[in-house]
Amino acid sequence: MSTVVDPAQQCSGPAESGKEYADWQALLERIPYARHLGLEVQRDDAGVLVHLPCREALIGNFMLPALHGGVLGALIELTARVAAQSQDTETRCPRILDSHINYLRSAKARSTFARADIVRQGRRTSLVQVTCWQGDENKPIATGQVQLLLPTMAAQQEDRHGH
Amino acid sequence: MQVVSVDQGQVCMRLTPQSWMFAQEDTNEICTSVLYSLADSAGGLAVFAGVLELMPIATLDLRMDYLRPVSGDRALLAVATCRHLTNEVAFIHCDILSEGNRELLATANATFMRNTPGQQFRAGILKKEGA
Repeated sequence: MSTVVDPAQQCSGPAESGKEYADWQALLERIPYARHLGLEVQRDDAGVLVHLPCREALIGNFMLPALHGGVLGALIELTARVAAQSQDTETRCPRILDSHINYLRSAKARSTFARADIVRQGRRTSLVQVTCWQGDENKPIATGQVQLLLPTMAAQQEDRHGH
Repeated sequence: MQVVSVDQGQVCMRLTPQSWMFAQEDTNEICTSVLYSLADSAGGLAVFAGVLELMPIATLDLRMDYLRPVSGDRALLAVATCRHLTNEVAFIHCDILSEGNRELLATANATFMRNTPGQQFRAGILKKEGA
């Protein structure tokens, strides 16, 4: 997996950011669909972000050419999920309840990045805002809000009793 | 993804789950993002089914509600309907169902912008006309 900063810099960086990077990477690696898309965790001065390398298979419109809207949806949802899970003290696996994505600019066939901002991390739910950009982080191509449910003991027991 | 049917203003698409679509390694639960992609594709096709012509369109926004976890045992069906058309915008609703028991798995509402030939698209057409 590639990183924005070089490995030497990484070692001297703040320990917390290094741990966050490792946590995100471990969580993302366990998601088969994230591996299929080729998502990778990167680090910069502002924190961790997720990189979606461009491949021909991800193009939704060959006339433009543009990335498939669903691929951006996946980048946003999976970034939100990893952000919420890494913040949870028990690293419970969150369930995505809903997501609302706004497409702001056309997504060209090139590398795309996503950064998560946790609006609220509650006991049972987490609301995450994700921003996607390509060349310039100040010119986002899409933003999304994802609501996640963190499973509680009661809900897990309910599941076990036939649902 | 396969297209099952296209009627005026309504489209049905089908997707057979594969192991790379899973949300977690030790389960066979399908990742919500796969449903999202299916809804986006079916929604876009429903715009064409509503206007009955092929013009470039762009997704403005899409809101998904995931009603229940989705196992990879059954194929998924997406039924997208064009609810309303204006000159510039198409309003789409999409239901994602489980094939067989027709259980409702997720719903989506999307807004598409019609007639959005971007600069690159126009350049492509000009190139073709010139050739």
